[in-house]
Amino acid sequence: MKLKIAFFDMASCEGCQLAILDCEDIFLHILDLVEIVEFREALSETAPRFDIAFVEGSINREMDADRLRDIRARCSWLVSLGACASHGNVQARSNALSPAENLQRVYGAEACHTVHTDPEYWPLWAHTRVRAVHQVVKVDYHLRGCPVDRHEFLHLVKRLVAGSLPRFARQPVCVECKYNGNECAFAHGETCMGQITWGGCDAICINGGYRCDGCRGLLPGANLEAHRALLRERGLGEAEIDSRYRLFCSADVGPQEAQP
Amino acid sequence: MRGFLTTRTAVLDWLRTLGQQEDVFFPLPLGENSFSFDKVRQHSRLAFEDFDAAPGEKPFRASSCVQPPGKKLSPNNEQIFRFSKNAHGEYQLTPTLDERPRIIAGLRPCDLKAIHLMDRVHSDDIADAHYLTRRRNTTLIAHDCLQPCDEHCFCDATGSLRWRQGADIFLTPQPEAKLLLEALTERGERRLDDAGFAPCSDIEERRALAEEKRAQPFGRHFDAPLQRVIDTVSDSWESPVWDKHVERCFSCGTCNLVCPTCYCFDVQDDYNIDDPDSGQRSRRWDGCMLEEFAVVAGGHNFRPQLAARQRHRIKRKLAWLPARFGDGSFCVGCGRCGHQCTVDIDIFDIANDLLAATEARP
Ligand code: SF4
Ligand code: SF4
Ligand code: SF4
Ligand code: SF4
Ligand code: SF4
Repeated sequence: MKLKIAFFDMASCEGCQLAILDCEDIFLHILDLVEIVEFREALSETAPRFDIAFVEGSINREMDADRLRDIRARCSWLVSLGACASHGNVQARSNALSPAENLQRVYGAEACHTVHTDPEYWPLWAHTRVRAVHQVVKVDYHLRGCPVDRHEFLHLVKRLVAGSLPRFARQPVCVECKYNGNECAFAHGETCMGQITWGGCDAICINGGYRCDGCRGLLPGANLEAHRALLRERGLGEAEIDSRYRLFCSADVGPQEAQP
Repeated sequence: MRGFLTTRTAVLDWLRTLGQQEDVFFPLPLGENSFSFDKVRQHSRLAFEDFDAAPGEKPFRASSCVQPPGKKLSPNNEQIFRFSKNAHGEYQLTPTLDERPRIIAGLRPCDLKAIHLMDRVHSDDIADAHYLTRRRNTTLIAHDCLQPCDEHCFCDATGSLRWRQGADIFLTPQPEAKLLLEALTERGERRLDDAGFAPCSDIEERRALAEEKRAQPFGRHFDAPLQRVIDTVSDSWESPVWDKHVERCFSCGTCNLVCPTCYCFDVQDDYNIDDPDSGQRSRRWDGCMLEEFAVVAGGHNFRPQLAARQRHRIKRKLAWLPARFGDGSFCVGCGRCGHQCTVDIDIFDIANDLLAATEARP
């Protein structure tokens, strides 16, 4: 029997689901291996149970957390899909501010007093915070990145279908950067988050001549002290360094250690 | 062995012509400050250094050539075999061997010695057919260095500077923008006989001329002779030096992945999405500085501490493999690891610190 898979979205841009739909050249072959039972981007059906649940997006409201717990109870494997689900992403930047300051920044000093902040309906500003999926329920696998990498998605699906363990090497972006023979960003006066960022994206940004901004999240045990010191040596100020670290928020939400 | 004398331009034109018939790899500029052995195309801008070049003016620097040329013989993610099911439902394996002829030109003595060491490693015990097949079909055209390539190089200290073994053709810079070409193997002779360069009758004199021109001292030197370095690294197990040199380390593996004598790999199986009964096994480069390198089945990690991984790397280069193969240092002094490490952790400094620590010991 084919594995049943389902996709769910929480607070996200749905770009990760689009990245997966982008496998269109092989999508029909994927459908030979698995049956998609829920996928708002492509299907209208819903299903009571499924084998793999892919959850995209961060958890911003208590009603989302409840929905997530329900999904967890209906699946065998739960996979966090992308940076929002895996470590909060840009929207989790609001966690660093007080609710009042958040309101002011978003709506301006005047208008913020007139914004409807019914905590029942929209408790984000009132008393909750942006959470990653693993901060609410147990996550079996993370597909990292903003957006996810389709090769990692395929690897995961193929391995679970074959009954073997998917493997996501716990190593920084530098490894793939070297596989590809790139000139290091630091070799031309640029700075980079690659040494402390979880790899798996094929170092796509450096291949393209840019630097890594860390969208795949902080590698557990990364030597942050040495990294901050290096960025300081290369002329970045404390505020600039904080902003780099905070861009995708993995440093705030914290990496999930357990990944089977 | 036969020798020829011609201009640098004539040799570069020759390589460009060969590049139209087969894969010719040559160090080409990469990014703003680096090099990469890439395929020569008709309009590639190729350059050799000048006989009279002052230090720092050289067109090629080994340490900023991200991947060493020898990696062309064991590329990342290479397929080892394909599998498929036959009519009786049994799996059949077909090894993948790459027999395409290729030329690696412009490689330097340090990288040449490294390829020699990799030849030894891959022929030892269980021969690695994938590497050896590529190697058999590869012509090596090496180029002498008369000036240290940059402030990172220490090839003379590790005994690689005068390395020639393994090259099919060896190029030595000569005055007036000329090059001495020596065929060191039959394959090299055949290649040069076809090239139509003028034969050279005074090979010895020309070599001596270049030798006179060679910088003295050449590049960096350890604080003791190589044998003392090897003995010291061999005897250093518990030492604060290992800890000192990982304080800033990211465990990023760059020092392994750019080293011409690192050859560890990790294998992976994958099946084809359009025919799940078939697929392939491939291997990708691995490195002992990476956290998961020494994890075995069941999840146990033999070297969870970073300092232990650093010690392992340095001992492989300067103690264990030299003892196992008796072919001198497995660090060829190319300077890549120290130059490309973003926090300047350099095997050269580690070796010197170990020497100093041993000296200081009562
Ligand atoms: S560019 Fe970034 S990812 Fe690549 S090697 Fe340098 S630090 Fe690592
Ligand atoms: S290189 Fe860095 S920023 Fe770019 S996709 Fe990879 S992890 Fe994200
Ligand atoms: S390390 Fe030595 S042999 Fe290698 S390129 Fe530099 S000068 Fe030449
Ligand atoms: S390149 Fe430098 S930071 Fe990276 S593992 Fe090697 S010594 Fe550590
Ligand atoms: S250990 Fe460093 S200097 Fe020595 S051969 Fe390897 S990369 Fe070159």
